[in-house]
Amino acid sequence: MEIQLRLYGSSKILSDKDALKIELPNNSNIEKLRDILFKIISEKHPKSNLENLPKTAAFFSEKNEVVNDNYKLKDKESISIIPPIGGG
Amino acid sequence: MTLHIALVKIGEEKISSEKAKKFIASEKNGAESIFVGKVRNENDGKKVTAVTYDAHDQAVIKSFQAICNAAKDKFDKNAKIFLEHAKGYASVGEISILIAVGSGHRDEAFKICRYILEEVKNQSPIWKKEHYADGKEEWLPGHSLRPMKEVK
Repeated sequence: MEIQLRLYGSSKILSDKDALKIELPNNSNIEKLRDILFKIISEKHPKSNLENLPKTAAFFSEKNEVVNDNYKLKDKESISIIPPIGGG
Repeated sequence: MTLHIALVKIGEEKISSEKAKKFIASEKNGAESIFVGKVRNENDGKKVTAVTYDAHDQAVIKSFQAICNAAKDKFDKNAKIFLEHAKGYASVGEISILIAVGSGHRDEAFKICRYILEEVKNQSPIWKKEHYADGKEEWLPGHSLRPMKEVK
């Protein structure tokens, strides 16, 4: 299955576009997404300083709510990655 | 109306303290507190020329509403609150955040202002990328919203 990861803050280093399409095994959850993201960063962006991102990021569902690691992803779902925040 | 919140796209609009003062003005209030955050020219020994603010627009507005309503519940239900934050490329000296509070008394006005600022930093999905005089740029580290119980 495939999800669309909407990029914010430092995660924008991962693509020139606002979102990244990510292939995942069926029935994957957020924990699996973290693993895949770690692989993508290690293989494609090794010098990006984003190695901690899969561990420190939160993820928002389409309802703009934080979802936990057990949250089951659906095919074509749009998920936002929320790197550590720092406005003001 | 007692609450105004917005994410202001730099280049399209400006954050204005005059607008904020007009919004919170009321004869019922004996105190007004205004906080203006600006882009400064130095951070951690590096010369900063500008900051790009990124934001998850919908979640930011949702968090602003929750924060301001919580501030009213906690300190003064009748307070008038104006909160705007910048989004986009802001040069040194430009306003990044403006919080204005009109309240019955000074203590509540100060407390609401401070509470909102700290909670925006803790809850609102906004990110800063600093641009430096040497041409480099860097996303600043921040505060993780991942539930603490999940971090191994």
